[in-house]
Amino acid sequence: MTYYLTTILVYAAVDILACLAISLQFGVSGIVNFSFIIFQAAGAYTAAVLSLPRDTANGGFQNYILGLNLSFPLPWIAATVVGAVIAVPIGLVALRRLRSDYQAIAMLVLSVIASLVVTNTPAFLGGAAGLSLVPQPLSDKFNPYSDSYQWAFTIGALILAVIVFFLVQRVINSPYGRSLRAMRENEAAANALGKNAVALKMTVFIAGGAIAGLSGAILVGFITIWAPSTWLYPETLILFAAVIVGGRGNNYGAVLGALLVPVGFEEATRYIPPFGPPGLIPALEWVCIGGLILGFLWFRPRGVLPERRRVFPPRRQVAEVGNPSASRD
Amino acid sequence: MSLIVAAFGFGLVSMSIIAISAVGFTMQFGITNMINLAYGQVMIASAYAAYAVNNAGVSIWLALPVAAVFGALFSFLLNRLVYAPFQRKGTNLIGMVIISLAVSLVIANVMLPIVGYYSVSYHQNPGTTYHLGSIAVTGEQLAIIGVAVVVMLAIHALLRLTRLGKAMRATAANPTLARNCGIPTARVIDLAWLITGALCGIAGAVAGMNSDSFSVASGSEFLIPIIAASILGGAGSPYGAMIGAVIIGEMTEISAAIISPEYKQVVAFAVLVLVMVLRPQGLLAKRGALAAAG
Repeated sequence: MTYYLTTILVYAAVDILACLAISLQFGVSGIVNFSFIIFQAAGAYTAAVLSLPRDTANGGFQNYILGLNLSFPLPWIAATVVGAVIAVPIGLVALRRLRSDYQAIAMLVLSVIASLVVTNTPAFLGGAAGLSLVPQPLSDKFNPYSDSYQWAFTIGALILAVIVFFLVQRVINSPYGRSLRAMRENEAAANALGKNAVALKMTVFIAGGAIAGLSGAILVGFITIWAPSTWLYPETLILFAAVIVGGRGNNYGAVLGALLVPVGFEEATRYIPPFGPPGLIPALEWVCIGGLILGFLWFRPRGVLPERRRVFPPRRQVAEVGNPSASRD
Repeated sequence: MSLIVAAFGFGLVSMSIIAISAVGFTMQFGITNMINLAYGQVMIASAYAAYAVNNAGVSIWLALPVAAVFGALFSFLLNRLVYAPFQRKGTNLIGMVIISLAVSLVIANVMLPIVGYYSVSYHQNPGTTYHLGSIAVTGEQLAIIGVAVVVMLAIHALLRLTRLGKAMRATAANPTLARNCGIPTARVIDLAWLITGALCGIAGAVAGMNSDSFSVASGSEFLIPIIAASILGGAGSPYGAMIGAVIIGEMTEISAAIISPEYKQVVAFAVLVLVMVLRPQGLLAKRGALAAAG
């Protein structure tokens, strides 16, 4: 029971982090980052190779670079930094002044290619088999199999999710957040008002990358394995589905979406009695995810919890002094 | 050296396949302003349609028109039932990309339980192998190159010599103006989806013939060189896509001979990145017959 609950809660924390990042990029700023999952993967791989011992340990059954055996929290911090750092070259290429749909497909292709490269280079990050036996944080000091450790990990992950929630909330309610929304609504107009859209997108891209990197580190710290099959490009689409369902541009929506779609689906399929040939249920699950996106974009494009309409208070005093009837608008 | 020359021969075949598919992909983009990321899945679905006929004992060459018709109808319905309603609703470009990716996911996973998880291959006879120096091509591969040449000439004739082609170019250039000039743009767009869908179907079948085996998962693999060739040539420009296909086809095969076949797609991607950095409008976007707006 402890195992079941902690697993759900850790996945919830990870998905909430990921959805917050996507909501910041896609919901607030209008960037469709179809390579999102590779930022999470980069964080997970970084945390893994920094906390694992050299690859000659454990009989050398897996190959990877580094293997520095660093202690917590260095791998998690490094994962966050790496998520941010790899956003720079990707952003420099993909976020130039191109049509937004060009940007999206370039990132989609990048996601497929990254997975291909990692899979075909066994000496780099374990290839197709991936990495396993990743030490859990502080496992040298505490027993990672005890219930209290599991709960401490879960609570830590949730606290991080809450901190990031409030950080993102601060950002989107700041003047900077207003610039982001201006850019999303009308990039040309934002440019004309002196907002550098490329620079704005770049900062959001880096911030989202950092959050994604952290989420990857948390996930790999909990499940202790990581392989290319966990970060195929459709995984990004699940997160997009979550943000679209929850309500893009609204952090509460992102949290709701994270709980409903990635977590909810995983739990729902656990209780469905198996039917049909093996593999039918996962296939139907993907069909549902696709259907969910299409259905929501058609019937309720703003999601369950739509972004709050931001209106400036009418300039009452001026209006009342000048022309009383104007105060109505 | 002879290895590279042999790879050049393979490049001729793969450029033919990329050309057929990339011209269809780029015309969809040019005429309907829509990047259809489900293109790779429609290709695979058509390849399976041909497989069903082929498996019943019909020659793969007779199954090729089946794939073309299947691809045409599939693409037409996809546009009529999904894309066009969303576009009418005013969904923006980003929204349409997300929709097409969701559609691709749905198609792939509806297909999986129907066609199965294992790779299949056509019952085919590759024919005699012809040698020219160290280039070796089978009769079947020569026929694929022939199909590509015929399709390219047909597209050229369609765009340049027929009223429909003229209407397509007009619709691509400015749909509102075209409609005001009395061009039935709705019908032109329907026909464009049928024609590009047929190209997609043919491409799926010949890609299936040229590879040892294919499965549902091959769809996204097909898409990378197609996207690279289209963007290299200038998205929306059919002639650009043909040039892009030649470059991507040769580069991927020659690099496969020099480096390793696993990195074929990576080379296509590297070209894509270079184009996006150095010349994001592509090689021919300014002169392309179907240059995209913006």
